Amino acid sequence: MDSEHINTSWEVGELKDQIILPPEPITNEAIAKRLYEQANIKLQSGEIKRPKLVWLELNGCSGNIISLLNGDNPSFEYMISSMVDLVYSNSLMIPEGEKALDKLMDLLKSDESFILAVEGAVSLKNNGMYQLVGSYKGQPLTGLQAAKMLGAKATHVIAVGACAVDGGPSAAKPNLSQSVGLQDVLDRRIIKLPGCPCHPDWFLGTLSHILVHGEPALDKRDRPLLFYSTLIHDRCPRLDYFHKGIFSKTLGEPYCLFKLGCRGPVTRVDCPTRRWNDDVNWPIGASTCIGCSQFGFPDQMAPFISYDT
Amino acid sequence: MTNNQIVQHQIHAVFSEVQYLIRLLYVTQDVYMRNLTLNQLWNKIDQLQFLIQLDQTTPTHPKPIMPIQQPSTQAPLQTPTQLPSTTPQPTGQIQQPSTQDQQSYTLEQLAQFNGQNGRSAYVAVKGIVYDVTNNAAWSAATHFGLEAGRDWTQEFASCHAAEQWILNTLTPVGRLAS
Repeated sequence: MDSEHINTSWEVGELKDQIILPPEPITNEAIAKRLYEQANIKLQSGEIKRPKLVWLELNGCSGNIISLLNGDNPSFEYMISSMVDLVYSNSLMIPEGEKALDKLMDLLKSDESFILAVEGAVSLKNNGMYQLVGSYKGQPLTGLQAAKMLGAKATHVIAVGACAVDGGPSAAKPNLSQSVGLQDVLDRRIIKLPGCPCHPDWFLGTLSHILVHGEPALDKRDRPLLFYSTLIHDRCPRLDYFHKGIFSKTLGEPYCLFKLGCRGPVTRVDCPTRRWNDDVNWPIGASTCIGCSQFGFPDQMAPFISYDT
Repeated sequence: MTNNQIVQHQIHAVFSEVQYLIRLLYVTQDVYMRNLTLNQLWNKIDQLQFLIQLDQTTPTHPKPIMPIQQPSTQAPLQTPTQLPSTTPQPTGQIQQPSTQDQQSYTLEQLAQFNGQNGRSAYVAVKGIVYDVTNNAAWSAATHFGLEAGRDWTQEFASCHAAEQWILNTLTPVGRLAS
């Protein structure tokens, strides 16, 4: 196999600056290695640019960035080294205080394009003073201001997690901070990834799609159809029990959890097939689904469990 | 159930039978079985034709009409009153749906059926009371923050404006007394 060598047209096209002379191997591994090395060279020299990513944490629990660190295929390391240039993330960046916000402000002033990922709701009370991102040159920078400034200039805005999508737990009754979802303060297209927290695959998958193919297909609520199309109920392993009317009375039983208050039938997301924590388990594997990836979580998904019915 | 619903239920049942017969045709090897299956298929299609005719001519207000299992004639009939005297279903079963349909609930009575403690879960939309106890979307007798046992006409109209067919999938159990 190594003695024969055919210059296929696509291979020549990919590496047009380099002529492949025999006896270079043409196994899959060899071709992949050559492409990877070429891509690395171009990354180093600056021909291929990784887009910049700003991760803004607003009024939330920062569960979404913790969830992101659990990413696998692609992993978080792969994301920050090969996919994007993470410019600002208040939990993960090394600079502190004023220096951290300098990076953010420099990005805004430089007019470079960037992708904005927002987690946490936007708090409106007292003109946003209920939630501060930091203080810059003596002035407090509220989450409301940061969301508006960055949201206006980003090429893509992704609302990560239930709070950013429609208020979520931050906006649960009685909503003392007047928290709202990101769409209520930004008048532009936002890709919404509800979930509490958002599964790392949903965010990393959406980001990958944006980098390679542009904005993914969205449903009427701006959620990528890649992840948010089928009901949990329709893919649930306990569905046969539902159809036959065999219901669990306690959480220990393996039958359908409908009578205990499972929200699988109203939640559209791919939890049953994707599962969580690298396919270790998922909510219905142990308890009821609380509908965390559906709009209206948590107030409209209450009660999470009910022994009364 | 109203008579229209009985007829529609029959039509759907015959559709399933037709599908089963077509699948049977695929696997049947000998000519004799195939011909028998084709005869059955012919009968079912005639039955469908009759039922659809019946559906179109049946008036919407309840009228005691017997659902027919095996039509003896090939040609569909024009009006329901010209039905041949085929054996009807047990009359108790016919009378009950119409009286059950008339059962009316006041708002206080409706509030009893909130799905708690083993009771059924009922909701009222546009004057009709539906049983949602075993409806997948009403787990724990709640749906997006709404509790069973109440009238949710406004909420249904605002959320499911373009999805009136949802009401057809629900089981009605009576009317809301105004």
